[in-house]
Amino acid sequence: MSLAQRVLLTWIFSLIFLIMLVLKLDSKIHWNWFLIFLPVWTFDTILILMLVVKMASRCKPGYDPRDGQQTLRKKVWYLLAILLKLGFCVTLCARLERLTDIWLSVVCIPLWSLLVGAMVELGYNVFHYRRD
Amino acid sequence: MLFSLRELVQWLGFATFELFLHLGALLVFSVLVALRADLFAPGMSWWLVFVPLFAADGLSTYFTAIVSIRLYQENEKRLAVLRLLWVLTVLSLKLVCEVLLCQKLVEQEQARDLWFGLIVSPLFILLQLLMIRACRVN
Repeated sequence: MSLAQRVLLTWIFSLIFLIMLVLKLDSKIHWNWFLIFLPVWTFDTILILMLVVKMASRCKPGYDPRDGQQTLRKKVWYLLAILLKLGFCVTLCARLERLTDIWLSVVCIPLWSLLVGAMVELGYNVFHYRRD
Repeated sequence: MLFSLRELVQWLGFATFELFLHLGALLVFSVLVALRADLFAPGMSWWLVFVPLFAADGLSTYFTAIVSIRLYQENEKRLAVLRLLWVLTVLSLKLVCEVLLCQKLVEQEQARDLWFGLIVSPLFILLQLLMIRACRVN
């Protein structure tokens, strides 16, 4: 996929999600919170599918595993990141729908793990660039 | 994931360090929101909860001003002005959205005229700008 296509994909899902969120918050629609988050579920599913397909391509005959050890580690981290984001969204929706009464601090744990991980990766990139 | 870091930096127009700064601010902000919502700190004002986001915007503006001055001194005048304009536009739209949201949360029922469509409108403008920029970068 070209950069424009990937941007368009992200842009459309963000726009739909924002519109649905605003309509719900302004009480114009009275849908279930899980339904409001539908663009998020769809986008994450597409991302997971793309990652799994890329990871599965390593199983092709003739692939040298030494080639992409670093890349595989990164892909596993990306998969974990999407799952953490999904975990956060599911627990948040469950709390908003009053299906559960857990603390918001517990709901936020996957989000915090994701943010710390992203900051470590970004920090490593800043440090790595300066060392070069 | 979907974008490499290089693509993100090109698209958003922010340096890696600035992205790091905003992520850190978001982390501290979410911790403060959770603390306030779980009644560990019920007396905490919403303006105080939003301080990390405001601080990140301020620091990012300072960083951009320094980078633009350096670029200007190195005779990259066009690049300096373009970078300064873009970052200031994005940061001011973000700031307007944050201030309106904070105002809404502080006043709750009294701020009925301040509907969420109005609060999020800077983000809609930002989305359009990001799409235009993506076409240029591509």
